[in-house]
Amino acid sequence: MFHNSSQKKYWIFKSEDELEHMRCKANQKFRNKALESGKKPGVSESMFLQRHEEDVLFRHYERRLLEFCNAFKPTMPKSVVGTALMYFRRFYLSNSVMEYHPRIIMLTCTYLACKVDEFNVSCTQFVGNLVQETPAGQERVLEQILEYELLLIQQLNFHLVVHNPYRPMEGLLIDLKTRYPTLESPESLRKTADDFLTQAAMTDAGLLFSPSQIALTAILNSASRAGLNMESYLTQCLGLKEEKETLSKMYDSMRRMKTLLKKYEPPKLEEVNISKQRLERIHAEFASSSK
Amino acid sequence: MKVIKFQHRSCFKWLLRGCSLPLPPKTGSEYYTRPNVVQTEMDEQGCPRCKTTKYRNPSLKLMVNVCGHTLCENCVEMLFVRGSSNCVQCDTPLRKSNFRVQLFEDPTVDKEVEIRKKVLKIYNKRDFDFPSLREYNDYLEQVEDIVYNLTNNVDVENTKLRMEQYQRENRDVIQRNKAKLTREQEELEELLLQEQQSNEQRRLEVLQEEQRQLQAKRKNKQALLDELEQSQLPATLLLAQHKVRAAQLETQIEQQKQAVKPTSLFSTGIHMRQTVSLQPVTKIEDVLYHYRPLQVETYGPPVPELEQLGRLGYLNHVRAAVTQDTAGGYTSGLACYRAIQDAFSGLFPLRG
Repeated sequence: MFHNSSQKKYWIFKSEDELEHMRCKANQKFRNKALESGKKPGVSESMFLQRHEEDVLFRHYERRLLEFCNAFKPTMPKSVVGTALMYFRRFYLSNSVMEYHPRIIMLTCTYLACKVDEFNVSCTQFVGNLVQETPAGQERVLEQILEYELLLIQQLNFHLVVHNPYRPMEGLLIDLKTRYPTLESPESLRKTADDFLTQAAMTDAGLLFSPSQIALTAILNSASRAGLNMESYLTQCLGLKEEKETLSKMYDSMRRMKTLLKKYEPPKLEEVNISKQRLERIHAEFASSSK
Repeated sequence: MKVIKFQHRSCFKWLLRGCSLPLPPKTGSEYYTRPNVVQTEMDEQGCPRCKTTKYRNPSLKLMVNVCGHTLCENCVEMLFVRGSSNCVQCDTPLRKSNFRVQLFEDPTVDKEVEIRKKVLKIYNKRDFDFPSLREYNDYLEQVEDIVYNLTNNVDVENTKLRMEQYQRENRDVIQRNKAKLTREQEELEELLLQEQQSNEQRRLEVLQEEQRQLQAKRKNKQALLDELEQSQLPATLLLAQHKVRAAQLETQIEQQKQAVKPTSLFSTGIHMRQTVSLQPVTKIEDVLYHYRPLQVETYGPPVPELEQLGRLGYLNHVRAAVTQDTAGGYTSGLACYRAIQDAFSGLFPLRG
């Protein structure tokens, strides 16, 4: 369960600033490493990616990951997608995109998520989904995936179980139907709540809030969109009538989450291309030197 | 580092058994038929020529010659009818008289054993013949070298020359040691004889005892028949008496069988008369265990019990279990319970 999981202990952080701090540290670490490893000609500080460029790339490859999972044959369950996204996010919390190319890491995350979530695909079936590659190319990609798999697990600190908000959402809907007759058709909230959850997976919400909180926010959000008031659910059914403090804290978190979602903007194509070029350059420079 | 020479008595016994000195040859040619000590699978060891195995012919005996290759008894007879021929596998000229019954599973071991015996006849110095341990060990190493060379056909010529040289140089020492050895061998012979004799005696005693018992039974039966003939008492009474006598005889026999020599030692090694303290073991007082049910902090609202879910109406909103699912023990309550648990776990913000 979530309350005694490694996710709650190690991978829930206090604020977005903390996350940003960790990412900057990762960036800096790579810079130091690259500069130390040899004063090659043509290497300068300006070559390295800035934080916002890294962000752009991260978001771009996240979208690619989502598209890959959605186009996956056989159909990938939502929890696997969620797990893969979470792995991706956690990995780049302590590593820089300059050091490990997100293209490979994204596939490794998905592969590992399939294994962990017991969604059985053989490795050949997995790389068979990369339709734009030749079979030989797929083989090469598979080799790379297998190379990076252990590294990924290590960087996740071997905490492989990820609690996604999909089941809590189901649970809340069941609870609503049972104990909250004021709301006539909770099923109508499902679609919007689902979209909310997908959007939330593309933000840092998973690293700041528990999955049940995310699910609750999703439902309340879609209820308010439909013009329904669900305050009484919180006070009556969840027993928070007396606990004013807890209630206010919960509203606070929900507001923060909604802000996070609003802040998210899909990456722009030109920016992505520029950053990608620079990334390729960096990888070409440093990958060959590190080998 | 002291070389531990295997000088245990049994080694001598074994050498004695294999030695060609006091024991007379049992048949015309000089090979020795001894029961085969080796315990191989019946099916595995076989004659390389006729391919019979112990499985097919349980009385098969494999013989080894100086070249290290095996042949079964029958093949030896057939091939060496002239007295000398060549080995089947390595084509070295051999004599029938050099065949010995195989003692070990690997024929090369037998070969080495034979060579060792011959070498040790010449190199028979003992540890007290040497002034220091180092020299004794060097001597032993020499011997091993020679045996190795002869067994593996390495530098045979030189080795043989060395042996002859040593023999010439140490002739008197060899003689002296031979004499000593014969004395020891005689002692061992005596011991062996004694053992054999006592074994024989025991066997005879047991046989005699059995005979006696049989006789007693027969006498009893005969007595019954006689009484039936001559006595005036009714037949049933006689039969009853006979039965009693027979039972008595049985118990006697049983008792004799059970007359085991009393031992003085338990199997665990404790002596029979040893007294054990009968003081009570010291009591260890400890805090009494008190059961407290497990308390888990879920950071969320309380979850209803699994059994209550149906009554509270939760199960109406979950997909009902199909018969195939219930066969495996699944109920819709399980899925519902898990969803509710997940929904409520961690819902409230953490304190502080």
